[in-house]
Amino acid sequence: MIRGIWNRETIAWMLVGALLPVLAALLTERGTEAGLRVLIGLAVIGFWQLVFLIARGQPPSAAGAVTAVAVAVLAPGEVAVWQLALALSFGTVIGELVFGGWGRNVLNGAVVTLAFLYFGFPEIQHAPAGSMIALASGLSAILLVATGIVSWRALTGAVLVLLAVAASFGAEIAGFAFGGSLVFGLVFLACDPVASAATNPGRWVYGGLTGGLAALFGWAGDGFGAPQTIVFATLLGSLFAPLIDHAVIAIGTRQRRRPHG
Amino acid sequence: MGSDSPGVRAELLVAEGENCVRGAPLFRDRKRPDIVFTAPVSGRIEEVRLGAKRRLEVLVISGAGDDRKRFDIPADADRTAVRRLILESGLWPSLRTRPFGRIPDPGSAPEAIFVTAVDTNPHAADPRIVLASQREAFGRGTALLKALTEGPVFVCHAPGEALVAEDAQIRCVAVAGPHPAGLAGTHIHRLFPVSVKRPVWQIHYSDVTAIGRLLETGELQTERTIAVSGPGIKAPHLMRVPMGTDLHELTADALVDSETQVLSGPAIGGRESRFLGRYHWQATVLKRQAPPFRPTWLRRLSGNRLLPAPIIPTEALEKVLATELPVVPLLRALSIGDAESAARLGCLELIEEDMALATYATGGAQDFGERLRAVLDTLEYA
Repeated sequence: MIRGIWNRETIAWMLVGALLPVLAALLTERGTEAGLRVLIGLAVIGFWQLVFLIARGQPPSAAGAVTAVAVAVLAPGEVAVWQLALALSFGTVIGELVFGGWGRNVLNGAVVTLAFLYFGFPEIQHAPAGSMIALASGLSAILLVATGIVSWRALTGAVLVLLAVAASFGAEIAGFAFGGSLVFGLVFLACDPVASAATNPGRWVYGGLTGGLAALFGWAGDGFGAPQTIVFATLLGSLFAPLIDHAVIAIGTRQRRRPHG
Repeated sequence: MGSDSPGVRAELLVAEGENCVRGAPLFRDRKRPDIVFTAPVSGRIEEVRLGAKRRLEVLVISGAGDDRKRFDIPADADRTAVRRLILESGLWPSLRTRPFGRIPDPGSAPEAIFVTAVDTNPHAADPRIVLASQREAFGRGTALLKALTEGPVFVCHAPGEALVAEDAQIRCVAVAGPHPAGLAGTHIHRLFPVSVKRPVWQIHYSDVTAIGRLLETGELQTERTIAVSGPGIKAPHLMRVPMGTDLHELTADALVDSETQVLSGPAIGGRESRFLGRYHWQATVLKRQAPPFRPTWLRRLSGNRLLPAPIIPTEALEKVLATELPVVPLLRALSIGDAESAARLGCLELIEEDMALATYATGGAQDFGERLRAVLDTLEYA
């Protein structure tokens, strides 16, 4: 019997491939310091993956690289190395590895890492990413949607609701397309296939919820372009994803039963 | 043999070394003795091997001569006579139930029957070509199926002209699209969703033709047209072979080299086997492939207890079942053997062949067909 190529690691490497333009944009915009942060991220995540491989037999995943780059993109402030390492360890271990590794986690490891950084060290200011990263993330999105890794339903739902809600608050929505943090976060964090809903109607609801939360947080909090906005919106949205799926399945089961008793 | 008929414990009616004629009973189901399995060719019984729990594993007949058993054809198509004829001729096992995918009880009646006259498996034979010379027998067989059910008989065919005339009971449905559009599971889900209280039977077009031929000639037709294809074979072709034919013998001269693997069934969902399966209408020859790649250092570091990687619930997976069932939750329930959730999510509508694409699309780390069978067994005997 032939086996398809789309196992977990193929998908992880596709994500890494889609990240390459973002990485290039990041290095151009922020220089070697950002590159150094990616390397620190890879080292810390690699270490914890090795620990869980030896201790629990969990195969490591290339998806760790996505976390490393996401943290470098969305936490560009004056973070000390020990702070970064602590946050990455927390995010990777508690967010991902204790559940059995990438694919079994409830929350995205990068989102947990970033939430830890923002909560744990609130005095550090984080500037939004620039338009080059926004453009690169847009290119990645095309590739990921075409291969079915990123759900077009979740992405469309998130973008539409975000724009609608932000416009109703009177925000200048034309500038959103150039907000690197917002576009990158939407593609790589909010639409992470593992931490988002897993049914088709659920993907619409999840996308809409996350987009709506991002608009709300952007309007009430740090501004639409701030990295915190999309990270906290994704954090809350992902927590609701299993509930959304549960509701979708319950409705579907009831509908299937009705016509024939 | 064994994996073709889950739940059948065989009671042998012949012994090694005896002679048999085509259509003569070989063994029957111990629990339901009316269900007999008959010889596809005449010849001498070479080998009978029983496996674990006395399940029949292999029964080999070396073909010789062409003696055929004659069956009495009832003059009128009354229900009990039709049933008896199909049972006696050994064509009853060509019917399979949904839910559970078993050979139906001789006394039971389905709410509907689905004839699958379309095949979207990779490299499958085109039913229109196969049926071209056998349209009459196919029509006769379909008409006979009406005696088995009070409900409709659906004939699902590829786009184009219908294969049989419709009437009060027979309904023709054209289906198009990529695999799994041609699977009976897909048709049944769309047209007549099943439940335990609403069973449906499915049958393949070549078995319908066999029933038609039986009525016509009084003899059992056991040849079926199969597609032989795959990267391991020189030229793909269609062949007419008896049921359960020896695929190694059949393909021996056509292989590109010796490093091949002969599958009974399509490249997805087929199984490596020397003999053609009861529910397979094609054979695929692949290059022998290495087991899934897992580097040695990974296994060493994990102390030889490397866990399988989980499936990633991407949107691309939604296409592996052409149904409205929630794919990812269903696959998750199956992979942990959670029978209760799987039943709630609709696994009763499915059988092994429906899961072949899911196994392929997730990289083949786990065989969802096998998982589904385990879950269905739990549900049926619970």
